[in-house]
Amino acid sequence: MSARGVALVGGTTIPWGVRSATWPELAQEIGAALFRAVPELRTEDVDSLFLGAAEPERFAFQSHVAPLAAEQMGLRPTRILQRTELACASGQSAIRSAYAAIAAGLSDVAVAVGIEKMNLPSMAEANTAMGCALDRPWDGPHGATAPPFFAMVAQRHMLEYGTTEEQMAAVSEKNHRFANTNPHAHFHEKKFPRDKLLRLPMVAPPLRLGDCSSMTDGAAAVVLAGEEFVRRYTDTPVWVRGTGQYSDFHNLANAGSLTDWVGLKHASREALGRAKIAPKDLDFAEVHDCFTISEIIEYESIGLCPPGEGGKFATDGRAEIGGDLVVNPRGGLLGCGHPLGATGIGQAVEVYQQCAHRVPAERQVPDPEWALVHNLSGSANVHSVMVYQGGGTA
Amino acid sequence: MSAPPSRTRAQVLAPSPASEPVPASPTPSVPADGGSGTTRTYEKRPFLLDFFPLETAKDTRLSRFFDRLREGHLSTTRCAKDGELLWPPRTACPKCHGEALEWVDLPETGRIYAFSAVLAGAPLGMEDQVPFAVGLVDLEGVPLRLFGRIEGRPWNQLSVGQTVRVESFDIGDGRFFYRFRAPT
Repeated sequence: MSARGVALVGGTTIPWGVRSATWPELAQEIGAALFRAVPELRTEDVDSLFLGAAEPERFAFQSHVAPLAAEQMGLRPTRILQRTELACASGQSAIRSAYAAIAAGLSDVAVAVGIEKMNLPSMAEANTAMGCALDRPWDGPHGATAPPFFAMVAQRHMLEYGTTEEQMAAVSEKNHRFANTNPHAHFHEKKFPRDKLLRLPMVAPPLRLGDCSSMTDGAAAVVLAGEEFVRRYTDTPVWVRGTGQYSDFHNLANAGSLTDWVGLKHASREALGRAKIAPKDLDFAEVHDCFTISEIIEYESIGLCPPGEGGKFATDGRAEIGGDLVVNPRGGLLGCGHPLGATGIGQAVEVYQQCAHRVPAERQVPDPEWALVHNLSGSANVHSVMVYQGGGTA
Repeated sequence: MSAPPSRTRAQVLAPSPASEPVPASPTPSVPADGGSGTTRTYEKRPFLLDFFPLETAKDTRLSRFFDRLREGHLSTTRCAKDGELLWPPRTACPKCHGEALEWVDLPETGRIYAFSAVLAGAPLGMEDQVPFAVGLVDLEGVPLRLFGRIEGRPWNQLSVGQTVRVESFDIGDGRFFYRFRAPT
Protein backbone atom coordinates (compact mmCIF):
# COMPACT_ATOMS: atom_id res chain seq x y z
CA MET A 1 0.00 0.00 0.00
CA SER A 2 2.93 2.30 0.43
CA ALA A 3 6.25 2.57 -1.33
CA ARG A 4 8.16 1.84 1.83
CA GLY A 5 7.36 -1.16 4.03
CA VAL A 6 6.92 -0.54 7.76
CA ALA A 7 7.05 -3.24 10.42
CA LEU A 8 6.80 -3.79 14.14
CA VAL A 9 10.23 -5.03 15.18
CA GLY A 10 9.74 -5.44 18.91
CA GLY A 11 7.79 -4.30 21.92
CA THR A 12 6.83 -4.96 25.49
CA THR A 13 4.53 -4.05 28.35
CA ILE A 14 5.05 -3.58 32.07
CA PRO A 15 2.72 -5.01 34.72
CA TRP A 16 -0.71 -3.36 34.46
CA GLY A 17 -3.03 -2.81 37.39
CA VAL A 18 -3.36 -0.46 40.34
CA ARG A 19 0.27 0.58 40.41
CA SER A 20 2.08 2.30 43.26
CA ALA A 21 3.86 4.48 40.73
CA THR A 22 3.44 7.91 39.18
CA TRP A 23 3.11 8.75 35.48
CA PRO A 24 6.83 9.60 35.04
CA GLU A 25 7.79 6.44 36.92
CA LEU A 26 5.67 4.37 34.54
CA ALA A 27 7.47 6.13 31.68
CA GLN A 28 10.88 5.20 33.09
CA GLU A 29 9.75 1.63 33.69
CA ILE A 30 8.50 1.11 30.13
CA GLY A 31 11.66 2.72 28.74
CA ALA A 32 13.86 0.32 30.69
CA ALA A 33 11.64 -2.62 29.74
CA LEU A 34 11.71 -1.70 26.05
CA PHE A 35 15.49 -1.60 25.81
CA ARG A 36 15.65 -4.98 27.60
CA ALA A 37 13.06 -6.44 25.20
CA VAL A 38 14.77 -5.14 22.05
CA PRO A 39 18.46 -5.55 22.92
CA GLU A 40 19.72 -4.43 19.51
CA LEU A 41 17.95 -1.08 19.85
CA ARG A 42 20.26 1.83 20.69
CA THR A 43 18.89 5.12 21.98
CA GLU A 44 20.49 7.01 19.09
CA ASP A 45 18.62 4.80 16.59
CA VAL A 46 15.28 6.18 17.70
CA ASP A 47 14.71 9.30 15.60
CA SER A 48 11.05 9.76 16.55
CA LEU A 49 8.79 9.21 19.52
CA PHE A 50 5.01 9.03 19.38
CA LEU A 51 3.26 9.03 22.74
CA GLY A 52 -0.30 7.80 23.22
CA ALA A 53 -1.65 9.47 26.33
CA ALA A 54 -5.33 10.20 26.77
CA GLU A 55 -5.70 12.41 29.82
CA PRO A 56 -2.47 13.19 31.66
CA GLU A 57 -3.79 16.73 32.19
CA ARG A 58 -6.41 15.33 34.54
CA PHE A 59 -4.87 12.08 35.73
CA ALA A 60 -1.35 13.41 36.30
CA PHE A 61 -1.86 17.22 36.17
CA GLN A 62 0.77 17.38 33.46
CA SER A 63 0.71 18.65 29.89
CA HIS A 64 3.57 18.77 27.33
CA VAL A 65 3.98 15.09 28.08
CA ALA A 66 5.87 13.99 24.95
CA PRO A 67 9.20 15.56 25.99
CA LEU A 68 8.60 14.36 29.53
CA ALA A 69 8.19 10.80 28.26
CA ALA A 70 11.28 11.16 26.07
CA GLU A 71 13.38 12.31 29.01
CA GLN A 72 12.05 9.59 31.30
CA MET A 73 12.74 6.93 28.66
CA GLY A 74 16.19 8.26 27.86
CA LEU A 75 15.36 9.29 24.30
CA ARG A 76 16.33 12.40 22.31
CA PRO A 77 14.15 12.41 19.20
CA THR A 78 15.67 14.35 16.31
CA ARG A 79 12.85 14.11 13.78
CA ILE A 80 9.35 13.82 15.20
CA LEU A 81 8.22 14.09 18.81
CA GLN A 82 4.47 13.99 19.16
CA ARG A 83 1.69 13.09 21.54
CA THR A 84 -1.44 11.54 20.12
CA GLU A 85 -4.75 11.86 21.94
CA LEU A 86 -7.83 9.99 20.85
CA ALA A 87 -9.22 8.93 24.22
CA CYS A 88 -9.34 5.12 24.33
CA ALA A 89 -7.60 4.87 20.93
CA SER A 90 -4.67 7.17 21.80
CA GLY A 91 -2.22 4.26 21.65
CA GLN A 92 -3.23 3.06 18.22
CA SER A 93 -3.05 6.68 17.06
CA ALA A 94 0.59 6.76 18.12
CA ILE A 95 1.31 3.63 16.07
CA ARG A 96 -0.61 4.95 13.07
CA SER A 97 1.33 8.22 13.23
CA ALA A 98 4.66 6.39 13.49
CA TYR A 99 3.66 4.19 10.57
CA ALA A 100 2.71 7.20 8.45
CA ALA A 101 5.94 9.01 9.28
CA ILE A 102 8.11 6.00 8.40
CA ALA A 103 6.15 5.19 5.25
CA ALA A 104 6.62 8.80 4.13
CA GLY A 105 10.36 8.67 4.77
CA LEU A 106 10.26 11.22 7.58
CA SER A 107 11.41 8.67 10.15
CA ASP A 108 13.43 5.45 9.98
CA VAL A 109 13.09 4.00 13.46
CA ALA A 110 10.34 5.20 15.78
CA VAL A 111 9.05 4.23 19.20
CA ALA A 112 5.33 4.31 19.86
CA VAL A 113 4.68 4.29 23.58
CA GLY A 114 1.44 4.47 25.54
CA ILE A 115 1.29 5.59 29.15
CA GLU A 116 -1.71 6.13 31.39
CA LYS A 117 -1.98 6.62 35.13
CA MET A 118 -5.67 6.37 36.08
CA ASN A 119 -5.95 5.27 39.69
CA LEU A 120 -6.03 8.30 41.95
CA PRO A 121 -7.01 8.76 45.61
CA SER A 122 -10.44 9.88 44.36
CA MET A 123 -12.10 7.56 41.87
CA ALA A 124 -14.63 10.34 41.26
CA GLU A 125 -11.82 12.41 39.72
CA ALA A 126 -11.05 9.54 37.35
CA ASN A 127 -14.74 9.14 36.54
CA THR A 128 -14.88 12.85 35.76
CA ALA A 129 -11.92 12.50 33.43
CA MET A 130 -13.74 9.68 31.64
CA GLY A 131 -16.87 11.84 31.39
CA CYS A 132 -14.78 14.53 29.73
CA ALA A 133 -14.05 12.15 26.84
CA LEU A 134 -17.73 12.52 25.93
CA ASP A 135 -19.37 15.85 25.04
CA ARG A 136 -18.49 17.40 28.39
CA PRO A 137 -20.83 20.42 28.60
CA TRP A 138 -23.86 18.65 27.11
CA ASP A 139 -23.66 14.92 27.96
CA GLY A 140 -21.31 15.08 30.94
CA PRO A 141 -23.60 17.04 33.28
CA HIS A 142 -26.12 14.20 33.23
CA GLY A 143 -23.52 11.89 34.73
CA ALA A 144 -22.59 10.21 31.47
CA THR A 145 -19.51 8.02 31.56
CA ALA A 146 -18.74 4.92 29.53
CA PRO A 147 -20.69 2.28 31.52
CA PRO A 148 -24.19 3.81 31.22
CA PHE A 149 -23.66 4.52 27.53
CA PHE A 150 -22.53 0.97 26.70
CA ALA A 151 -25.31 -0.32 28.97
CA MET A 152 -27.80 1.37 26.64
CA VAL A 153 -26.01 -0.25 23.70
CA ALA A 154 -26.42 -3.63 25.41
CA GLN A 155 -30.08 -2.95 26.19
CA ARG A 156 -30.80 -2.14 22.53
CA HIS A 157 -28.87 -5.18 21.28
CA MET A 158 -30.85 -7.41 23.64
CA LEU A 159 -34.09 -5.78 22.51
CA GLU A 160 -33.35 -5.90 18.79
CA TYR A 161 -31.61 -9.29 18.56
CA GLY A 162 -32.37 -11.20 21.74
CA THR A 163 -28.77 -11.09 22.95
CA THR A 164 -28.54 -12.39 26.52
CA GLU A 165 -26.58 -11.75 29.68
CA GLU A 166 -25.24 -15.29 29.34
CA GLN A 167 -23.80 -14.49 25.92
CA MET A 168 -22.14 -11.35 27.29
CA ALA A 169 -20.74 -13.42 30.18
CA ALA A 170 -19.23 -15.83 27.64
CA VAL A 171 -17.05 -12.99 26.32
CA SER A 172 -16.02 -12.07 29.86
CA GLU A 173 -15.22 -15.70 30.68
CA LYS A 174 -13.10 -16.13 27.54
CA ASN A 175 -11.07 -12.97 28.00
CA HIS A 176 -10.43 -13.48 31.71
CA ARG A 177 -9.41 -17.06 30.96
CA PHE A 178 -6.92 -15.87 28.32
CA ALA A 179 -5.69 -13.25 30.82
CA ASN A 180 -4.62 -16.11 33.10
CA THR A 181 -1.77 -16.71 30.66
CA ASN A 182 -0.70 -13.05 30.82
CA PRO A 183 1.16 -12.15 34.01
CA HIS A 184 0.99 -8.44 33.13
CA ALA A 185 -2.83 -8.46 33.03
CA HIS A 186 -4.80 -6.51 35.65
CA PHE A 187 -7.44 -9.18 36.24
CA HIS A 188 -7.38 -12.93 36.00
CA GLU A 189 -10.04 -15.59 35.96
CA LYS A 190 -9.97 -16.10 39.71
CA LYS A 191 -11.23 -12.56 40.20
CA PHE A 192 -14.08 -13.24 37.77
CA PRO A 193 -14.93 -16.95 38.09
CA ARG A 194 -17.15 -18.33 35.36
CA ASP A 195 -19.95 -19.44 37.70
CA LYS A 196 -20.10 -16.08 39.50
CA LEU A 197 -20.21 -13.72 36.49
CA LEU A 198 -24.00 -13.48 36.41
CA ARG A 199 -24.16 -12.77 40.13
CA LEU A 200 -21.62 -9.96 40.23
CA PRO A 201 -23.01 -6.53 41.13
CA MET A 202 -24.50 -4.32 38.42
CA VAL A 203 -22.42 -1.29 37.46
CA ALA A 204 -24.87 0.09 34.89
CA PRO A 205 -27.74 -2.32 34.16
CA PRO A 206 -27.63 -4.66 32.31
CA LEU A 207 -23.82 -4.51 32.63
CA ARG A 208 -22.28 -6.19 35.66
CA LEU A 209 -18.79 -5.82 37.02
CA GLY A 210 -17.52 -8.67 34.84
CA ASP A 211 -18.84 -6.96 31.71
CA CYS A 212 -16.70 -3.84 32.23
CA SER A 213 -13.02 -3.10 31.71
CA SER A 214 -11.36 -1.14 34.43
CA MET A 215 -9.38 1.93 35.41
CA THR A 216 -5.86 0.64 35.06
CA ASP A 217 -2.36 2.07 35.33
CA GLY A 218 -0.06 0.80 32.64
CA ALA A 219 2.34 1.38 29.80
CA ALA A 220 3.43 -0.42 26.63
CA ALA A 221 5.84 0.32 23.81
CA VAL A 222 6.63 -0.94 20.32
CA VAL A 223 9.41 -0.15 17.88
CA LEU A 224 8.54 0.43 14.23
CA ALA A 225 11.13 0.54 11.47
CA GLY A 226 11.36 1.18 7.76
CA GLU A 227 12.07 -1.86 5.62
CA GLU A 228 15.83 -1.21 5.25
CA PHE A 229 16.22 -1.14 9.05
CA VAL A 230 13.96 -4.01 10.06
CA ARG A 231 16.47 -6.86 10.07
CA ARG A 232 18.77 -4.93 12.37
CA TYR A 233 16.31 -5.68 15.19
CA THR A 234 14.38 -8.85 14.46
CA ASP A 235 14.02 -11.96 12.35
CA THR A 236 10.25 -11.88 12.87
CA PRO A 237 9.01 -8.48 11.66
CA VAL A 238 5.27 -7.91 11.59
CA TRP A 239 4.31 -5.70 8.67
CA VAL A 240 1.66 -3.00 8.73
CA ARG A 241 -0.58 -3.86 5.78
CA GLY A 242 -3.60 -1.64 6.26
CA THR A 243 -5.19 1.07 8.34
CA GLY A 244 -8.64 2.55 8.50
CA GLN A 245 -10.44 5.02 10.70
CA TYR A 246 -13.90 6.54 10.81
CA SER A 247 -15.54 9.20 12.93
CA ASP A 248 -19.21 9.94 12.55
CA PHE A 249 -20.50 11.85 15.60
CA HIS A 250 -19.57 13.14 19.03
CA ASN A 251 -22.64 14.20 20.99
CA LEU A 252 -24.73 11.19 22.03
CA ALA A 253 -27.80 12.72 20.36
CA ASN A 254 -26.14 12.24 16.99
CA ALA A 255 -25.31 8.55 17.45
CA GLY A 256 -28.02 7.07 15.24
CA SER A 257 -28.30 3.31 15.79
CA LEU A 258 -26.56 2.11 18.93
CA THR A 259 -26.17 -1.44 17.63
CA ASP A 260 -25.06 -0.91 14.03
CA TRP A 261 -21.50 0.40 14.27
CA VAL A 262 -21.25 2.01 10.86
CA GLY A 263 -17.88 3.52 11.73
CA LEU A 264 -16.34 0.13 12.41
CA LYS A 265 -17.75 -1.28 9.18
CA HIS A 266 -16.07 1.56 7.27
CA ALA A 267 -12.78 1.42 9.17
CA SER A 268 -12.36 -2.36 8.98
CA ARG A 269 -13.37 -2.48 5.32
CA GLU A 270 -10.78 0.21 4.57
CA ALA A 271 -8.01 -1.50 6.53
CA LEU A 272 -8.75 -5.02 5.22
CA GLY A 273 -9.12 -3.64 1.70
CA ARG A 274 -5.71 -2.01 1.83
CA ALA A 275 -4.28 -5.33 3.05
CA LYS A 276 -6.18 -7.07 0.25
CA ILE A 277 -7.69 -9.65 2.56
CA ALA A 278 -11.18 -10.56 3.78
CA PRO A 279 -12.37 -11.04 7.39
CA LYS A 280 -12.22 -14.83 6.90
CA ASP A 281 -8.46 -14.57 6.24
CA LEU A 282 -7.75 -13.28 9.75
CA ASP A 283 -5.99 -15.66 12.13
CA PHE A 284 -6.56 -13.53 15.20
CA ALA A 285 -7.80 -10.15 16.29
CA GLU A 286 -7.26 -7.80 19.18
CA VAL A 287 -10.55 -5.92 19.46
CA HIS A 288 -11.74 -3.26 21.86
CA ASP A 289 -13.71 -5.16 24.51
CA CYS A 290 -14.12 -2.18 26.82
CA PHE A 291 -17.42 -3.92 27.60
CA THR A 292 -18.58 -7.42 26.69
CA ILE A 293 -21.28 -6.02 24.42
CA SER A 294 -18.59 -4.14 22.48
CA GLU A 295 -16.82 -7.35 21.49
CA ILE A 296 -20.15 -8.90 20.45
CA ILE A 297 -20.98 -5.98 18.14
CA GLU A 298 -17.39 -5.92 16.86
CA TYR A 299 -17.71 -9.52 15.62
CA GLU A 300 -20.71 -8.34 13.62
CA SER A 301 -19.37 -5.03 12.34
CA ILE A 302 -15.99 -6.40 11.28
CA GLY A 303 -17.93 -8.99 9.28
CA LEU A 304 -17.09 -12.16 11.22
CA CYS A 305 -20.79 -12.98 11.54
CA PRO A 306 -24.13 -11.45 10.50
CA PRO A 307 -25.78 -8.65 12.54
CA GLY A 308 -27.38 -9.97 15.70
CA GLU A 309 -25.35 -13.18 15.82
CA GLY A 310 -22.39 -11.86 17.82
CA GLY A 311 -23.63 -13.36 21.08
CA LYS A 312 -23.92 -16.80 19.50
CA PHE A 313 -20.47 -16.32 17.92
CA ALA A 314 -19.13 -16.10 21.49
CA THR A 315 -21.06 -19.01 22.99
CA ASP A 316 -20.29 -21.25 19.98
CA GLY A 317 -16.57 -20.85 20.66
CA ARG A 318 -15.86 -19.29 17.28
CA ALA A 319 -13.54 -16.68 18.85
CA GLU A 320 -11.45 -19.32 20.65
CA ILE A 321 -8.32 -21.21 19.64
CA GLY A 322 -9.69 -23.81 17.22
CA GLY A 323 -12.57 -21.52 16.20
CA ASP A 324 -12.89 -19.19 13.20
CA LEU A 325 -10.17 -16.90 14.59
CA VAL A 326 -8.82 -16.15 18.05
CA VAL A 327 -10.14 -12.92 19.53
CA ASN A 328 -8.26 -11.16 22.31
CA PRO A 329 -5.76 -13.87 23.20
CA ARG A 330 -3.81 -11.56 25.57
CA GLY A 331 -6.98 -11.21 27.69
CA GLY A 332 -8.53 -8.15 26.11
CA LEU A 333 -9.34 -4.95 27.91
CA LEU A 334 -11.54 -6.98 30.26
CA GLY A 335 -8.60 -9.02 31.48
CA CYS A 336 -5.64 -6.71 30.94
CA GLY A 337 -7.41 -3.57 32.08
CA HIS A 338 -7.70 -0.42 30.03
CA PRO A 339 -4.97 2.18 30.60
CA LEU A 340 -6.34 4.34 27.79
CA GLY A 341 -3.16 5.42 26.01
CA ALA A 342 -1.41 2.08 26.54
CA THR A 343 -4.20 -0.22 25.37
CA GLY A 344 -3.65 0.07 21.62
CA ILE A 345 0.09 -0.42 22.06
CA GLY A 346 -0.43 -3.43 24.32
CA GLN A 347 -2.56 -4.99 21.58
CA ALA A 348 0.23 -4.43 19.04
CA VAL A 349 2.75 -5.99 21.43
CA GLU A 350 0.53 -9.08 21.49
CA VAL A 351 0.41 -9.15 17.69
CA TYR A 352 4.21 -9.00 17.54
CA GLN A 353 4.68 -11.65 20.24
CA GLN A 354 2.09 -14.00 18.72
CA CYS A 355 3.76 -13.84 15.31
CA ALA A 356 7.16 -14.46 16.95
CA HIS A 357 5.71 -17.45 18.86
CA ARG A 358 6.73 -15.82 22.11
CA VAL A 359 3.50 -16.22 24.08
CA PRO A 360 2.57 -19.08 26.43
CA ALA A 361 1.26 -22.14 24.60
CA GLU A 362 -2.21 -21.78 26.17
CA ARG A 363 -2.85 -18.67 24.11
CA GLN A 364 -0.60 -19.22 21.10
CA VAL A 365 -2.55 -18.78 17.86
CA PRO A 366 -1.66 -21.67 15.53
CA ASP A 367 0.34 -20.45 12.52
CA PRO A 368 -0.46 -16.78 13.04
CA GLU A 369 -0.13 -14.63 9.95
CA TRP A 370 -2.93 -12.07 9.60
CA ALA A 371 -4.08 -9.99 12.57
CA LEU A 372 -6.53 -7.14 12.99
CA VAL A 373 -6.33 -4.61 15.81
CA HIS A 374 -9.35 -2.47 16.62
CA ASN A 375 -9.91 0.37 19.05
CA LEU A 376 -13.04 2.36 19.51
CA SER A 377 -12.98 5.60 21.42
CA GLY A 378 -15.47 7.66 23.37
CA SER A 379 -19.02 6.47 22.80
CA ALA A 380 -17.95 4.17 19.93
CA ASN A 381 -18.13 7.31 17.78
CA VAL A 382 -14.63 6.75 16.41
CA HIS A 383 -13.25 3.43 15.18
CA SER A 384 -9.59 2.80 14.40
CA VAL A 385 -8.36 -0.39 12.73
CA MET A 386 -4.96 -1.72 11.69
CA VAL A 387 -4.15 -4.93 9.84
CA TYR A 388 -0.81 -6.66 10.32
CA GLN A 389 0.95 -9.56 8.61
CA GLY A 390 3.52 -11.69 10.37
CA GLY A 391 6.17 -13.24 8.12
CA GLY A 392 6.56 -12.18 4.52
CA THR A 393 8.69 -9.35 3.24
CA ALA A 394 8.23 -5.64 2.74
CA MET B 1 32.79 32.34 34.45
CA SER B 2 33.07 29.14 36.33
CA ALA B 3 32.48 25.85 34.60
CA PRO B 4 29.08 24.25 35.16
CA PRO B 5 29.13 21.54 37.80
CA SER B 6 30.13 18.25 36.33
CA ARG B 7 27.40 15.66 36.35
CA THR B 8 29.98 12.93 36.72
CA ARG B 9 30.88 14.35 40.12
CA ALA B 10 27.67 12.82 41.40
CA GLN B 11 29.27 9.45 41.07
CA VAL B 12 31.50 10.11 44.06
CA LEU B 13 28.61 11.01 46.35
CA ALA B 14 28.06 8.60 49.18
CA PRO B 15 24.60 7.10 49.47
CA SER B 16 22.31 8.88 51.91
CA PRO B 17 22.40 6.80 55.09
CA ALA B 18 18.69 7.09 55.70
CA SER B 19 17.74 6.17 52.16
CA GLU B 20 16.01 2.99 51.13
CA PRO B 21 16.92 1.58 47.73
CA VAL B 22 14.54 2.63 44.97
CA PRO B 23 12.02 -0.21 44.69
CA ALA B 24 12.65 -2.38 41.68
CA SER B 25 10.03 -2.79 39.02
CA PRO B 26 7.56 -5.39 40.18
CA THR B 27 8.04 -8.77 38.64
CA PRO B 28 5.06 -10.41 37.02
CA SER B 29 4.73 -12.71 40.02
CA VAL B 30 3.63 -9.75 42.16
CA PRO B 31 -0.14 -9.57 41.84
CA ALA B 32 -1.83 -6.23 41.31
CA ASP B 33 -4.05 -5.48 44.26
CA GLY B 34 -7.10 -5.53 42.04
CA GLY B 35 -8.81 -2.87 44.11
CA SER B 36 -10.22 0.37 42.86
CA GLY B 37 -8.29 2.68 45.17
CA THR B 38 -9.59 4.51 48.17
CA THR B 39 -12.35 7.05 47.79
CA ARG B 40 -12.15 10.52 49.24
CA THR B 41 -14.72 13.17 48.69
CA TYR B 42 -13.58 16.59 47.60
CA GLU B 43 -15.11 19.58 49.34
CA LYS B 44 -15.45 21.65 46.19
CA ARG B 45 -17.69 19.91 43.72
CA PRO B 46 -18.19 21.01 40.16
CA PHE B 47 -21.67 19.91 39.16
CA LEU B 48 -21.38 20.20 35.41
CA LEU B 49 -17.86 18.76 35.31
CA ASP B 50 -16.59 22.30 35.03
CA PHE B 51 -15.29 24.90 37.43
CA PHE B 52 -16.42 28.01 35.58
CA PRO B 53 -20.04 28.57 34.56
CA LEU B 54 -19.86 29.86 30.99
CA GLU B 55 -23.53 30.55 30.40
CA THR B 56 -23.94 34.31 30.05
CA ALA B 57 -23.54 36.50 26.97
CA LYS B 58 -20.13 37.55 28.24
CA ASP B 59 -18.80 34.01 27.74
CA THR B 60 -20.94 32.24 25.16
CA ARG B 61 -22.86 33.02 22.00
CA LEU B 62 -25.42 30.42 23.15
CA SER B 63 -26.50 32.28 26.31
CA ARG B 64 -30.05 32.37 24.95
CA PHE B 65 -30.23 28.59 25.55
CA PHE B 66 -29.61 29.06 29.26
CA ASP B 67 -31.89 32.11 29.49
CA ARG B 68 -34.68 30.07 27.92
CA LEU B 69 -34.04 27.15 30.30
CA ARG B 70 -34.41 29.57 33.19
CA GLU B 71 -37.83 30.42 31.73
CA GLY B 72 -38.71 26.71 31.76
CA HIS B 73 -38.16 25.82 28.10
CA LEU B 74 -35.67 23.57 26.35
CA SER B 75 -34.60 25.13 23.06
CA THR B 76 -32.04 24.66 20.34
CA THR B 77 -30.90 26.17 17.07
CA ARG B 78 -32.24 25.51 13.58
CA CYS B 79 -30.52 26.45 10.35
CA ALA B 80 -32.54 29.23 8.76
CA LYS B 81 -31.39 28.19 5.29
CA ASP B 82 -31.91 24.43 5.13
CA GLY B 83 -34.13 23.92 8.18
CA GLU B 84 -31.75 21.45 9.84
CA LEU B 85 -32.56 21.02 13.55
CA LEU B 86 -29.25 20.96 15.39
CA TRP B 87 -28.22 19.51 18.76
CA PRO B 88 -26.43 20.67 20.74
CA PRO B 89 -27.21 24.32 19.90
CA ARG B 90 -24.64 25.70 17.47
CA THR B 91 -23.37 28.88 15.92
CA ALA B 92 -22.79 27.46 12.42
CA CYS B 93 -24.67 24.79 10.49
CA PRO B 94 -22.50 21.67 9.96
CA LYS B 95 -24.29 20.87 6.68
CA CYS B 96 -24.36 24.16 4.75
CA HIS B 97 -21.92 26.04 6.99
CA GLY B 98 -24.30 28.97 7.07
CA GLU B 99 -24.22 31.06 10.22
CA ALA B 100 -27.81 32.23 10.11
CA LEU B 101 -29.37 30.09 12.85
CA GLU B 102 -32.65 30.64 14.66
CA TRP B 103 -33.78 29.57 18.12
CA VAL B 104 -36.70 27.16 18.42
CA ASP B 105 -38.36 25.66 21.50
CA LEU B 106 -38.33 21.86 21.60
CA PRO B 107 -41.28 19.57 22.42
CA GLU B 108 -41.93 19.00 26.11
CA THR B 109 -42.44 15.24 25.90
CA GLY B 110 -40.58 12.27 24.48
CA ARG B 111 -40.28 8.50 24.65
CA ILE B 112 -37.44 6.50 26.13
CA TYR B 113 -35.32 4.85 23.39
CA ALA B 114 -32.80 3.31 25.79
CA PHE B 115 -31.92 3.76 29.44
CA SER B 116 -29.56 2.60 32.13
CA ALA B 117 -28.47 3.79 35.53
CA VAL B 118 -25.29 4.78 37.28
CA LEU B 119 -25.03 2.45 40.27
CA ALA B 120 -21.32 3.05 40.79
CA GLY B 121 -18.58 5.20 39.34
CA ALA B 122 -20.22 8.65 39.38
CA PRO B 123 -18.19 11.73 38.46
CA LEU B 124 -17.23 14.45 40.94
CA GLY B 125 -20.18 16.19 42.53
CA MET B 126 -22.56 13.35 41.66
CA GLU B 127 -21.46 10.71 44.17
CA ASP B 128 -24.37 11.51 46.50
CA GLN B 129 -26.91 11.10 43.71
CA VAL B 130 -26.14 7.42 43.01
CA PRO B 131 -28.13 5.51 41.92
CA PHE B 132 -29.52 7.68 39.14
CA ALA B 133 -31.09 6.82 35.80
CA VAL B 134 -30.03 8.17 32.41
CA GLY B 135 -31.46 7.58 29.00
CA LEU B 136 -31.81 8.53 25.36
CA VAL B 137 -35.21 10.05 24.67
CA ASP B 138 -36.86 10.53 21.27
CA LEU B 139 -38.52 13.93 21.45
CA GLU B 140 -42.12 13.89 20.26
CA GLY B 141 -42.50 14.89 16.61
CA VAL B 142 -38.94 16.04 15.90
CA PRO B 143 -35.89 14.06 14.73
CA LEU B 144 -33.92 14.51 17.95
CA ARG B 145 -32.86 11.84 20.43
CA LEU B 146 -31.50 13.57 23.50
CA PHE B 147 -29.46 12.09 26.30
CA GLY B 148 -30.29 13.04 29.88
CA ARG B 149 -30.96 12.23 33.48
CA ILE B 150 -34.35 10.59 34.12
CA GLU B 151 -35.99 11.46 37.44
CA GLY B 152 -39.37 10.52 38.87
CA ARG B 153 -38.99 6.75 39.08
CA PRO B 154 -36.25 4.33 40.12
CA TRP B 155 -34.35 2.95 37.14
CA ASN B 156 -35.87 -0.50 37.53
CA GLN B 157 -39.35 0.92 37.05
CA LEU B 158 -38.54 2.54 33.70
CA SER B 159 -39.20 0.93 30.32
CA VAL B 160 -38.28 1.50 26.69
CA GLY B 161 -41.08 3.38 24.93
CA GLN B 162 -42.28 5.06 28.09
CA THR B 163 -43.30 8.73 27.85
CA VAL B 164 -41.29 11.25 29.85
CA ARG B 165 -41.51 15.03 30.20
CA VAL B 166 -38.71 17.51 29.66
CA GLU B 167 -38.06 19.85 32.57
CA SER B 168 -35.57 22.50 33.49
CA PHE B 169 -34.21 22.74 36.98
CA ASP B 170 -31.99 24.90 39.15
CA ILE B 171 -28.84 22.95 39.85
CA GLY B 172 -28.36 24.80 43.10
CA ASP B 173 -25.82 27.44 42.19
CA GLY B 174 -28.11 29.65 40.15
CA ARG B 175 -27.55 27.75 36.94
CA PHE B 176 -30.19 25.73 35.12
CA PHE B 177 -30.01 22.52 33.13
CA TYR B 178 -32.52 20.12 31.59
CA ARG B 179 -33.55 16.59 32.53
CA PHE B 180 -36.42 14.19 31.96
CA ARG B 181 -39.13 13.16 34.40
CA ALA B 182 -41.08 9.91 34.25
CA PRO B 183 -44.68 10.01 35.54
CA THR B 184 -44.86 8.74 39.12
